[in-house]
Amino acid sequence: MKIIEVNNLSKTFKVKIKEKGLKGSLKSIINPKYKIVNAVNNVSFSVDKGEIIAFIGPNGAGKSTTIKMMTSILYPDEGNIKILGLDPAKDRKKLAYEIGTVFGQKEQLWTHLTPYDNFKFFGAIYDIPEKAVEKKIEEFRVLFELDKFINTPVRNLSLGQRIICEIVASLIHEPKILFLDEPTIGLDPVVKENIRTLIKRMNKEYKTTIFLTSHDVGDIEKLCKRVIIINNGQLVLDDTMENLKYHYLNQKIVEAKMKEKVNLDDEVGITILKDKGYNLKIEVDTTKRSVADAIRLLNPDNIIDINISNVPLENIISDIYRNKE
Amino acid sequence: MLMEVKNQIKVNYLSFKYCIMREMLNKATFISNVLFMILNNSFMIVQWIVLYSLKDNVGGYTFKQVLLLWALASGVYGVAHLFFKKSFHLSEVINNGKLDAYIVQPKNILLSVITSDIEVSAIGDVLFSIIVFCVSGFTIKRFILFIIFIITGGLILTSVTVILNSLSFWFNNADMIADVGDSLMTSFSTYPDGIFKGLTKVLLFTLIPVGISNYIPVKVITEFNINLFVINIVVCIFLILLSNIIFYSGLKRYSSTNLMSARI
Repeated sequence: MKIIEVNNLSKTFKVKIKEKGLKGSLKSIINPKYKIVNAVNNVSFSVDKGEIIAFIGPNGAGKSTTIKMMTSILYPDEGNIKILGLDPAKDRKKLAYEIGTVFGQKEQLWTHLTPYDNFKFFGAIYDIPEKAVEKKIEEFRVLFELDKFINTPVRNLSLGQRIICEIVASLIHEPKILFLDEPTIGLDPVVKENIRTLIKRMNKEYKTTIFLTSHDVGDIEKLCKRVIIINNGQLVLDDTMENLKYHYLNQKIVEAKMKEKVNLDDEVGITILKDKGYNLKIEVDTTKRSVADAIRLLNPDNIIDINISNVPLENIISDIYRNKE
Repeated sequence: MLMEVKNQIKVNYLSFKYCIMREMLNKATFISNVLFMILNNSFMIVQWIVLYSLKDNVGGYTFKQVLLLWALASGVYGVAHLFFKKSFHLSEVINNGKLDAYIVQPKNILLSVITSDIEVSAIGDVLFSIIVFCVSGFTIKRFILFIIFIITGGLILTSVTVILNSLSFWFNNADMIADVGDSLMTSFSTYPDGIFKGLTKVLLFTLIPVGISNYIPVKVITEFNINLFVINIVVCIFLILLSNIIFYSGLKRYSSTNLMSARI
């Protein structure tokens, strides 16, 4: 069942062009010049109930603008959006009861209040009766292990604990869809892992559909089964994680520790990434040469140790960004 | 509909309560802010005491009427800044993309934003206004009218502020226009209207509606006049509606930002 449908979505911004210096400032007062930036250009996609979607792209690609249009913050110039059958531009209040939002860069919690009081405030915002909120907070306290800091003022929490509380606060009204805009920004690996576990749990326990933007490949790889890539305001890829890896993983990385030096300079389908004499790192293009063939070239008797791995997802995504520019 | 209003009021009440709780974290600052504001306003009254020792009448006002005018000016300012402080900073909220958090919540955006902070010293203004009102002549009828007028005046001042700050949706530096507007409203509200003539007087009953929020109440409290009373209420409702229309029209142009921010 489709719960998000975005069709031919476009949004432009008028940006003032200012020449440098005081002279430029004076010129821009007398004769202001503007340029039109196509932040989002004819983007279409849909999301099924219960999916965890990675919505990614380089900085300035149009991710946040798209999310903001889906959450009623911005009005689209063209195209239409249906979230649970509602139009974000027209049904803001109704939609707000059905979705949750967490912007990693913008805090919504009151910093002088404890997470507990904040959760109660959020309960009031979503018209949830007092007792039901308390029950919900208790449920979250156990499920998301909030014991250590639920009664500490938010200003005294670590960044990771704050983000966890931001996410939990956005779940108080049991949203059907949760929009997470870079929730792991600035967090250490352990906290990132905790946040990922939390996201997985809420998807599993509450069947919440997750719409996630992140620059962290770990988030994408560990959480999402589907990836939508946007660049320069245009959709460049909408595929499952499996397909992404399958289609873009024509390269294998072979790292070998050798007894004797080997020269692979002119071999077809092999790119030497690092050659430190007895330690060799090569990339094998499997469309031109099999991995077994590459190993034969190295001579198995000559190999002390070998490691064969996929190209990191980070590199694949960077390549997609670059190729579609 | 009724339930929606009830829930909105509950959220605004909680917001107010949490702000007071925050301010009370530092008891000494909280109390000194309130007391110093009362003291500050009291010094202003001294000037008028000196003036009235030389003259019996300034701009058609007796000394007691000037006290009433000050009580209203202080009360109107206090109500607006205590309950709707953020309306005076709405421009900054719009320009820095801080509306996002309110838009994604199922509540009235404008009301949620402008009630999201309080000015503690405004408690001093409200207390001062009640004290000065009592000195100007206390009767139950006068007091009820006074309370009504500081509420309608507070709403008028807030509405004008919202209108001026909402210009930020169209112009980048609208905060400067809004600041000038607020200063004009506050400054003119402490002088008897009899000293203003011609165009200034017209402006005070139109573009800078201090005449409606402060001068008319002085007249009605001194001598009840149903027509003037109705004008005050009608203009108040009109300005609330107008501020809502302008804010929500501008909201369609809201462009948000990706600036980092926290709710403090």
